[in-house]
Amino acid sequence: MVRLSVAVDLALFIGLLVLVAIAAGVVGSLTGLGGGVVVIPLLIVLFGASIPIAIGTGFVTILATSSATGAAYVRDRLSDLRIGMFLEIATVPGALIGATATVFLTHANLQSELLVALGVALFAIIPGSLARRNIELPPPLPPDARSRRMGLSGDYHDNALDQDVHYEGARTSPALGVMFGAGLVSGMFGIGAGVFKVLALERFLNLPMKISTATSNFMIGVTAAAGAGVMLSAGYVNPIIAAPVAIGTAFGAYLGSRVLPGLRNRTIRLMFLPVVAVLAIEVILRGLGLP
Amino acid sequence: MSAPDRSVAPSSPTVKPLPPEAYLRMTFVLRAGLGLSLGILGAGIVAYLLLHPGASSSSVLTANPIAGYLSFGGLASGLASGSVEAFLTLGLVVLVATPVVRVVSGLYYFRRAGERTMVAITGVVIVLILVGVLVIGPYVR
Repeated sequence: MVRLSVAVDLALFIGLLVLVAIAAGVVGSLTGLGGGVVVIPLLIVLFGASIPIAIGTGFVTILATSSATGAAYVRDRLSDLRIGMFLEIATVPGALIGATATVFLTHANLQSELLVALGVALFAIIPGSLARRNIELPPPLPPDARSRRMGLSGDYHDNALDQDVHYEGARTSPALGVMFGAGLVSGMFGIGAGVFKVLALERFLNLPMKISTATSNFMIGVTAAAGAGVMLSAGYVNPIIAAPVAIGTAFGAYLGSRVLPGLRNRTIRLMFLPVVAVLAIEVILRGLGLP
Repeated sequence: MSAPDRSVAPSSPTVKPLPPEAYLRMTFVLRAGLGLSLGILGAGIVAYLLLHPGASSSSVLTANPIAGYLSFGGLASGLASGSVEAFLTLGLVVLVATPVVRVVSGLYYFRRAGERTMVAITGVVIVLILVGVLVIGPYVR
C-alpha cells in the first residue's frame, strides 16, 4: 500500500479524499451499508489517519450518505418511516454505548485492540451480507401483535418487477435485539452496520429487499447522529478530513440512489465484498503490528 | 424471476399511513440540511486552504483545528469573530443535526395523528441523541 499522508500537499490530499469518498458513497448507497466500511479502513491504511479520527469521519460519511439517499428513498416511498423510527429506539442506545466505549478504549491506549476489533467487525459484514436472502419479495408471514398494533406495514410499486407490493412486519422482538447490536457496532466503529439492520428487516420483519435496503439507509443517519454527537463533542471529528469526505460521499450516494430504483440489487453486494475483505485483513494486520 | 404471491389480504392495520405531506417535508429537511451543511463545509475548506497555505496533510492528521470550538461559548465566539474553524464546526453540527430534525418532524406528524406510542418513541430517541451530544461527549472528552 502507498502511504500518501506525508508526501502530498493539503490540496491534493483533500482532492484524493473527495475521490475516495465518491466511490464510498456510490457503494454505500447501492448496498445499503453506508460508505463507512470503505472510508474508515482507507483513511487508516492509505491516508495514515488515527483510528478515532477515522471512526469520527466514518460517522460523517454515514450522515452524508443517509441524508442524500434517504431523501430520494423517502420521496419514492421506498423508506418505511414508521418502521424505521420504531426500530431507532433500539439502535440509538446501542450507538451511544458503542461510541462511548470507543472513546474510553482510545483514552486507555487500546487503539491496536480497537483496530483488530474494527477488522473483525468488517469481516462480520461479509457472512452477514451473504446471509441475505436472494429473493426480492419474501413469502408473506402473519404480523405479530406489536406489528399489527403499530401498523408496521406498507405498500410500494416495484419498478424492476413492475408490480404493486404489500408488506407487513413480523417478529418485532428479535428485530429490536438485532437492531441494538447494529447500533452498538455502528457507534463503536463509525460504520453504518447496515448489513445487520438489513438482516433484521429482511429476516425478522420479513420485509422486501428494496424496502429493507432503503429503510436501513434511512435509519443509519439517526444511529450515526447519536454516535457522531458523542465523537464530535469529544473532539474526534476533524473537519479538514471530514468535510471533503462528506462532500464526496453525498455526491456518490446521490449517484447511487438514482440507480437503485431500477435495479434488482442482489448482485451488487458480490461486487463489493472482496474489497471489504482485503481492507479488513489490512486493518487487522495493522492492529497486530504486522506489515 | 417469478415473484411470490403477495395477494394476501392486509391484516387490517389499525394505524393510518403517514400523509404524503410528511414524506415531502422530510425529503425537504434532509435535502436542505445536507445542502446547508455541505455548503458551509465546502466554503470552509476552500477558506481554510487559502488562509493556511503552509498547512500540510500531515499537520491536519495530527491536530484537530476545531478543538477550541466544541463548546457553545467557544463556537459562538468563533463564529462572531469569523473564524474559519468555527464555521467548519458549524457545518459539522448542521450535518449531525439534519437526521435529528427529521426525527423531530416525524414527531410532529405522529403527534398530529394522535399516535401516542410513536410520539413517545421518537421523543425518547431525540432525548437520547441530545444526551449523547450535551452530556456524554463533553464528559468523555
